[in-house]
Amino acid sequence: MRRSLLDILCCPVCKGDLDLRVDEETGDDIVEGSLWCAACGVAYPIKEGIPNLLPQTDKD
Amino acid sequence: MQIPTPSPDDQVYAPAEDTFLLRDAALAGVKPDDRVLEVGCGSGAVSAALLGRAASVVATDINPHAVRAARTLGVETVRTDLMAGVRGPFDLVLFNPPYLPTAPEERIDDWLEYALDGGPTGRETIERFAADVGRVIAPFGRILLLVSSLTGPEEVQKIFSGLGYIVLLAAKERVEGEDLLVLRISRDLCCFSG
Repeated sequence: MRRSLLDILCCPVCKGDLDLRVDEETGDDIVEGSLWCAACGVAYPIKEGIPNLLPQTDKD
Repeated sequence: MQIPTPSPDDQVYAPAEDTFLLRDAALAGVKPDDRVLEVGCGSGAVSAALLGRAASVVATDINPHAVRAARTLGVETVRTDLMAGVRGPFDLVLFNPPYLPTAPEERIDDWLEYALDGGPTGRETIERFAADVGRVIAPFGRILLLVSSLTGPEEVQKIFSGLGYIVLLAAKERVEGEDLLVLRISRDLCCFSG
């Protein structure tokens, strides 16, 4: 995902802001990392460039 | 529309007549400065067609195979349930929902089910979408929603009218025993209070 995407994302549960943590970046594409919701205390993973904003209690 | 045969290698709804009708309506209605959201993007065919035609294009799907497929087409994707993890604002929201009336005993528990199963009425997912879409669209934003005659278009119109939206018919096509319709939905700014 591009950094600019962060502005239009929110926590799927509380709709609050997310903080971006980057583990791997290629150009302007964040490939691995996470999106942290401080209010919920939950990290949503970014894998292969795709943020996973499913409630993290739903494991598949 | 075609009903794809589920298999482990085929977990994403393949583009069909409904996909193309929504794509063509989107191409006809998109403006260069639109921030576009496609909800439930499946293969990503509709969003991919809009790349370069809008200011931005973002697509969501709950299906991990779908978001990966759309990303390979160059579409920025987010895995989430409808639009739960996005806030917008968006000027154009596109949705080809699961709209087939499906009885509990007809359900197949796999990823394609999410693309097809509209619950007993065919409108369950559309109702969830309608209840939340106001959170992510800009005041003058438009929604293009694909429905089928099997879904009860009048009932769909009532859902949106009851929430303060105006519903117009943007496109219609007869396909093997059903009519596919694209509804153009926008806020009724004269009475919208939400």
